[in-house]
Amino acid sequence: MAYKTRLLATALIAVSSAFPALADDDKIIVGFATAESGFMEAYDKPAQDAAMIRIDEINAAGGLLGKQIEVIKADTKTDRAEGAKAGLTVIDGGADLVVVSCDYDFGSPAALAAEDAGKISFFLCAESVKAGIQGVGPHSFSASVLAAVQGATMAEWAYNKKGARNFYRLLDTWTEYNKGICDGFDWMLPKLKDAKLVGQDTFKNEDASIAAQISRIKALPQEPDAIMLCTMMPGAVSAVKQIRAAGINAPILNGSSMDGSYWLSAVPDLTNFYVPVQGSIYGDDPNPDVSKFNAAYKAKTGSDPSSQYAYPGYVMIDVWAKAVERAGTTDADAVVAELEKMKNEPTIFGPRTFSAELHHQNTTKYEIIEVKDGKPGVVDSWTISEPVPLEALLK
Amino acid sequence: MLQIVFDALTLGSLYALGALGIALIFGVMRLVNFAHGDVIAFCVFALLWPSVDAVAIVFAGNLPWYLLIPFVVLVGAGLSVLCEIVVFRRFRDASPATMMIASFALGFVIRYFLLMLFTSRPKSISLLPALSQPVEIFGARLPLLQLITIVTTLLVLAGLTIFLRRTRFGLEMRAAAENFAMARMLGVRANRVIMLAFALSGALAGAIALIFGSQTGTADIQMGAAIMLMAFIATVIGGLGSLGGAVLAGFLLGAASVVMQVVLPVDARPFRDAFVYGAVILVLLFRPQGLLVARGTKERV
Repeated sequence: MAYKTRLLATALIAVSSAFPALADDDKIIVGFATAESGFMEAYDKPAQDAAMIRIDEINAAGGLLGKQIEVIKADTKTDRAEGAKAGLTVIDGGADLVVVSCDYDFGSPAALAAEDAGKISFFLCAESVKAGIQGVGPHSFSASVLAAVQGATMAEWAYNKKGARNFYRLLDTWTEYNKGICDGFDWMLPKLKDAKLVGQDTFKNEDASIAAQISRIKALPQEPDAIMLCTMMPGAVSAVKQIRAAGINAPILNGSSMDGSYWLSAVPDLTNFYVPVQGSIYGDDPNPDVSKFNAAYKAKTGSDPSSQYAYPGYVMIDVWAKAVERAGTTDADAVVAELEKMKNEPTIFGPRTFSAELHHQNTTKYEIIEVKDGKPGVVDSWTISEPVPLEALLK
Repeated sequence: MLQIVFDALTLGSLYALGALGIALIFGVMRLVNFAHGDVIAFCVFALLWPSVDAVAIVFAGNLPWYLLIPFVVLVGAGLSVLCEIVVFRRFRDASPATMMIASFALGFVIRYFLLMLFTSRPKSISLLPALSQPVEIFGARLPLLQLITIVTTLLVLAGLTIFLRRTRFGLEMRAAAENFAMARMLGVRANRVIMLAFALSGALAGAIALIFGSQTGTADIQMGAAIMLMAFIATVIGGLGSLGGAVLAGFLLGAASVVMQVVLPVDARPFRDAFVYGAVILVLLFRPQGLLVARGTKERV
C-alpha cells in the first residue's frame, strides 16, 4: 500500500513538474517572487495589484502575442534567503518575466536567480541604481525612477518656481535611497546660479529625537529658503513633525517616499511641504488616465492607492508587454534589446527610457505635490533640464 | 549652549526612563528584559484600532489627556505583568541566559502580534498635538514637549525614589534587589515583589510610549528597538541592578549623543553612534562593574 502511494506520488510529481514546460507554448507566464508576508508586503502589494490591473487589461484585449498572460507567485516572506528560493520557484514554474520585491536588498536574491537562469527581472519599485545592470546584471530592470532624479527635480523646481537660493541639506543616513536623493540634490545644486548650501547635517531614521540637528538650523543667521530632507518612513514623519514643532516654517523638499495622505494626521495643518510623484493619487492629476487608473485600482482593491508607489507596477507590465510585442517573442535577450531601444516611451505615468548602460530612469516628468494646510494636491510638474549622469549615480 | 543642555536632557530623559524600566526588573530577578522595547511599541499601538489600511484608525488615542495618560500607563503595566505571569514566572529557577533568550522570544511574539494586526506599515497618529508648540525659556526656544519630557522624567524619578525609600513595598523591593533569597526567608513575598517590579517597568514603558509617540507622531512595530538598545547599554554602564546608575547613565548617553552631533564635523556625523559606543567601551574599560555598583551584584569571596 505504502509502496503504491509512493509510486502515485512520484508519478504526480513527475506530471506536475512537466506541466509548466508544456504550458509554455500557449500562454505567457509572469512570476511574482515578492513578499506576501512580513514587512515588505506593505510595499510590494500595491505595485503588484497595479501590475495585475495591466495584465488583466492585456488579457481582456486578447492577450500578448495572441496568448493569455498567466501569473504565478512565490512568497519571499521578506527574507533574503527565501527570496532566492522564491525566484527559483517561479523560474521553475516557467516564468518569462520574474518580478521581484520593491527594495534592492530584498529583491536582488530573486533577481540574481533570474539573471543566472537568463530571464528578465523587474524590481517593482526599487530606486537605487544597483537595481538593474549595475547591481544584478544585463537582464535586470527597475520599474521606478532613480532617487537621485527626485532630489535633482526638487532642487531645480524650488530654485525656479519658489525662488529658493539658500538651501539646507538634512540627510538620514539609514538607506541608499535617502543618500540617492541627496546625491541628486548635490549634483544639481552647483548648476543653479547663485544657489548655495548654507548648511548641512545628518541624522538616523530611528533617532528618538533630532533636537540637536534642529538647533543647528535655528542657529543660522536666517532661516534657509528650502530644506532638502533626504529621508523616508517612518523617521521622516518624526523629522518633519519635530522641525515644525520647533517653529521652522521653511519649505521642506522631499523624495517620493513621503507621498500619501495617510501620515498627515501626525503633523496637523502641515504647510509648505513638497514631494515629486509619478502620478497623483489625490484625483487631481492633469492626465485623466491617472484618475482612470485610480478608479480601476479602487475597484480591484477596495481603496485608492495610498501612495504613488502602486504606479510603477503598472508601468512595468506596460513597457515589458510592448517590448515583447515588438520582439515577437518572450525570449529574454530579444526583449531586453527592445526595452533598450525605448526612448521617452510614453506611459500614463510619464515617459520611460532604457539604454544598454542604464535600466532605470535618470530623468522623467514629475508632478509636484504641495501639502498646504494639511491638504495635498498637484501644483506643478517638472522635468529636470538634463538627465542625472552615471558618475553622479555611482558616487 | 542652553539649547544643547535642553536637547541633551530631552534625549537623556527618554534613555533614563527606558534604562530604569530594565534596571527595575534586573534588580529583582536578574533578568535583562529584551521584550521591554516591544512593550513600548505595544503601548503606542494600543491607541489605534487594528487595521491593515495605510491610514491609522485612531481609537483610544482620541481620549482627552487626563484619561489618555493613565490608559497608556495601565496598558504598559498590564502587558508587563501579563508577561511575567504567563512567561517569566515559569523561568524563576532558570539561568539568566535562559531568561534573556525567553525575553527575546517574547519580544518577537509581541512584535509579530502587532504585525499581524496592523501590518508593517508605520502608522501616523497625532498624540497630544497641543504639545507641538514652541515655547521660549531662558532664551532657548524649544518645543513644549521637550520641556514636558524633562519635567515628567524628573517627577517620575522623584516619585520612584520616594516610593522605594518610604513605603513598605519599596523596602521589600530594595531588599529583594539586594539579596533575593535572604529577603524571601525574611518574609518578603517574591511573586508580589516581582509583579510589582514588572508593573512599574511596564508603566515606565507606557510613559516612554507617550513621549515618543507625541514626538514622532508615528507608531511603528520596530519603534521600541532603538530605545531598548540604548536603555540596555545605559543599565550596563550604570552598573547592572543599580537604579541610580541606570538613570545617570541614561542621561550621560543622551548628552554624549547630542554633544557628538554638535561638535563632530559633517563628514563624521553619520558615524556619531560609533563615537558614542566608543565612549561606552572606554567607560567599561575603566569601570567594568559600571558607574555605580549595585550592592547585590558584587562578587563575594
